[in-house]
Amino acid sequence: MGVAPQGLELTRDYRSLSGGRTAARRGRGPESPRWGTAILFLAPAGLLLLVFLVYPAIYTVLLSFNRGRNGVFEQWIGLDNYTRLFSDPDFINLSTFPPSGALWNNLLWIVFYVSIVIFLGLIIAVVAARVRYESVVKAIVFIPMAIAATALAVIWKFVYSPDANIGFLNAILGALGVAPVSWLGDPGIVNFALIAVGIWGSVGFATVILSAAVKSIPAEVIESARVEGATERQIFFRMILPMVSLPMSVLAVTLVVNVIKLFDLIYVMTRGGPGKASQVIAFTMFQQAFEAGQYGYGSAVAVVMLVLLVPIMIFNVRRFRTSSVT
Amino acid sequence: MRSTRSLAAIAFIASIVITACGGSGTPTPVGTAAAGSTITVMSLWGGSEQASFQKVLDAFKTKSGVIANYESIRDNYSTILQTRISGGNPPDVAIIPGIGFLRQFARQGSLKKVADLGIDVNALKSNYPPGILEIGQVDGTQYAIMVKFNSKSTMWFRPDKFKTLGVSAPSDFAGFTKLLGDIKAKGTAPMGLGAADSWTLTDWFENIYAKQAGPEKYDQLFSGKLPWTDATVAAAVDTMKSAIKEDYVAGGITAALGRSFTDAIGQTFAANGQAVIYYEGGFVGGIATGQTNTALKVGESIDWFDFPAVGSGKTVTIGGDVIAAFTNKPGVKEFLAYMTSADSGSVWAGTGAVISPVKSVPASAYPNDLAKREAAQVANASAVRFDGSDLLPSGGGDNLGAALQNAIQGKTVDWAAFETAMAAKWKAEK
Repeated sequence: MGVAPQGLELTRDYRSLSGGRTAARRGRGPESPRWGTAILFLAPAGLLLLVFLVYPAIYTVLLSFNRGRNGVFEQWIGLDNYTRLFSDPDFINLSTFPPSGALWNNLLWIVFYVSIVIFLGLIIAVVAARVRYESVVKAIVFIPMAIAATALAVIWKFVYSPDANIGFLNAILGALGVAPVSWLGDPGIVNFALIAVGIWGSVGFATVILSAAVKSIPAEVIESARVEGATERQIFFRMILPMVSLPMSVLAVTLVVNVIKLFDLIYVMTRGGPGKASQVIAFTMFQQAFEAGQYGYGSAVAVVMLVLLVPIMIFNVRRFRTSSVT
Repeated sequence: MRSTRSLAAIAFIASIVITACGGSGTPTPVGTAAAGSTITVMSLWGGSEQASFQKVLDAFKTKSGVIANYESIRDNYSTILQTRISGGNPPDVAIIPGIGFLRQFARQGSLKKVADLGIDVNALKSNYPPGILEIGQVDGTQYAIMVKFNSKSTMWFRPDKFKTLGVSAPSDFAGFTKLLGDIKAKGTAPMGLGAADSWTLTDWFENIYAKQAGPEKYDQLFSGKLPWTDATVAAAVDTMKSAIKEDYVAGGITAALGRSFTDAIGQTFAANGQAVIYYEGGFVGGIATGQTNTALKVGESIDWFDFPAVGSGKTVTIGGDVIAAFTNKPGVKEFLAYMTSADSGSVWAGTGAVISPVKSVPASAYPNDLAKREAAQVANASAVRFDGSDLLPSGGGDNLGAALQNAIQGKTVDWAAFETAMAAKWKAEK
C-alpha cells in the first residue's frame, strides 16, 4: 500500500512534536501581510489542487446521481445508485452472521490489520532499541516496504498456492504432515490470509515511525523513573506508551486510510473471490466503474469511500493543529 | 434473393482473390485507393499472440499498401479503450473485449456500421458458418466481425496416463463421471481445476447448459429472455457438480478455489503433474506445450476429446474475438474487408494460434493436427454457441463466475437474487 506520502507528513508532524520548533523561532516576526506575494506562491499549488482534486471530486459526486455510463452525464436518477448499492448483498449484507460484503471486509481489515500492525510495530520498536543489532532487525522488518504492493501480492500468491510444490506455506504444512490449506480459496480464511500479507507489508513502516517516537523520549525522564523505582513494565505502560500515543494515533489514521483505499492486494491476489468473499470497497468501485462501465454506480461507491474518509481526515487535521500548539 | 446474395458473395470473393493475386505477384504494394495511409489497430494480445497477429498485419500491408500499426494494451483493456472513446481519441480499429462492450459501444454511437464503411454485409454471409456473423450484430445491425476463435468444448487429457490406467475417452456425460470415478478408484486424482479464475467455471457451465438445455434455451438465457430462476439453470449446475466434486478435483474444491488457471494446467500437464484431465478451451494446447511443459508430445502426452455430450446435446461452445471500426479513415474499410477474407484467415491460421471463422480457409492452412481437429470440431458441430459469459452485460460474467464459485463449494445459490441483479444489468444496458 502506498504509504510514502502520509509517511512524510507523519515524520514532519512528529518532529514538531519533539520540540524541534526551530523553524518557528527563526520566523521573521510580525510583518504587514503581503497578499500579492502570498497568492502568487499559492497559485500553482492551488491551481493543481483545483484541477486534479477539487474538480474530479465534484464531478464524481455529480456522476453518482446519474446513470453515467461511459463517464458522461446521460440521465439523472437521484439516489438510485445509492439505494442499489446499499441493497446489494455483495456490498453489505447484515442478514447473515457474521455479516459479509465489501464494507464488512473493510471493517475486518481495520480491526485486525490496523491493530496488529501497530502492536507489532511497537513491540519491535521497543525491543529492538535494546539490542546491539537494532539496525539489522529494523532493516529486515523494513524490507517489505521497499517492495511494490503488486509485486508483494504476486510473491504471496505463490506462498499461498494450494499446491505444495508451488506454495511455500503448504510445503511446510506438508512436511509436518498437515493437509494443505487453500489460503485464498476458503471463504472463511481468505480475508485473514490477505490481512496477513498487508501486515507483513506495513509493520516496517510502523516500526520506523514508532521507533523514532520511542527514541525521542528524553533519556533523563526514563532514567529518573528507574531511579524512583519504577519497574520496566510500569515504564512501558505509564511512560513510553502515553508519550508515543500521538504518533501512534497518527499512524493508526494513516493505516485506516490505507485500508479504505485498499485495492492492489485484492486485485492481484483474489479479485474479490472466491465468490465475493474478499471483496473490498475500492475494488468494488473499480469493477463497477471501469470493468462494467457503470461509472455512475462506481461513483456512488467512490462517494461512500470519501464519506468514510472525511471524519478520519478531520480527526487527523485536528491532531496536527493541537500538536503544533502543545 | 438467395441467388443474388451468393452472386454478390462470389463477386466479393473474386475481388479479394484478384487483389490477392496482384499482391502476391509483385513485391510493391498494390495501388488501392487507400494505399499509403496508416491506421491504428488496438488489441489486448501480447507475446506470441501479438506476433501471430503481426503476420496478418504484414500480409495486409503487402496486399493493400495500408500500414496498420498495432497497439497492444495488455492490462485494463476495456478501461483504456473506453477512456479513449470518451476522450474522442479512439483507435481506428479495435478488438472489442466482449459482446457486452460491443453492444455498449454500438448503442452509444461510437462504432461505425460495417455497411456504412462500404462493405456489403449480405455478401459476407456466405463466408461464414451460420451463427458466426450474428455475434457481431447489435439490434440486428452488423457492427463487428468475428475474426478468430477457439473451441471451448475441448476436454484435455494425458493419453499416456489413460493408457497406463486402462481407461478411454467417454462419449457422454454419464460416461465422463464414470470415468472420473474409475480414475479415482485407481488411486489417481482425476482432474485439475483452477477455479480462482472464475471464468473457467463459467466455461464449464456454458458447455453443460448448451448441451443439456439446448441451444435455443441457451440463446434465451444469455440474451436476458429466460430468467436465471428457470429450472434448467439449477439442473445444469447439478450436472456440473457431478463432475466438479471434492473427490474428482485434484487437491479438492477448496484448494481449486485458490488456484489459478495456469497452475491448474500444470496439475495435469507439468512434468510432476498428478491429474490426468483438464478442461478448458483449445488454447490450452499452446500454453501446455509452450509454457507448462515443453517435453509434451501431441497425441502421446497431450490430446483432447470432445466435451462429453449431455444426453443427446452436442452443442459446441466457442470463445473468440470480434473486431470493429471506430473511424472510417482511408484504409479502415480495406482492413475490415481483408479480415473477412480467406487470405487473412489462412495467414492467421498458419501461425497455429487461432481457428479462423472464415469458411474457405482450407484445413491445410492449419500447421498441426490439434488445430486442424479443433477447426473440424466446430465446422462439423450440430450447433455452435458463443461463450455466454461474454454475451452478458458487462460485469455479468464476473457475477456468474462468483455464483458458480459458491455453487461448487456446496452453497445454495440464490438464483432469484441473481436474476434480479442480471435483469438490472440488462435494463441498464438499454
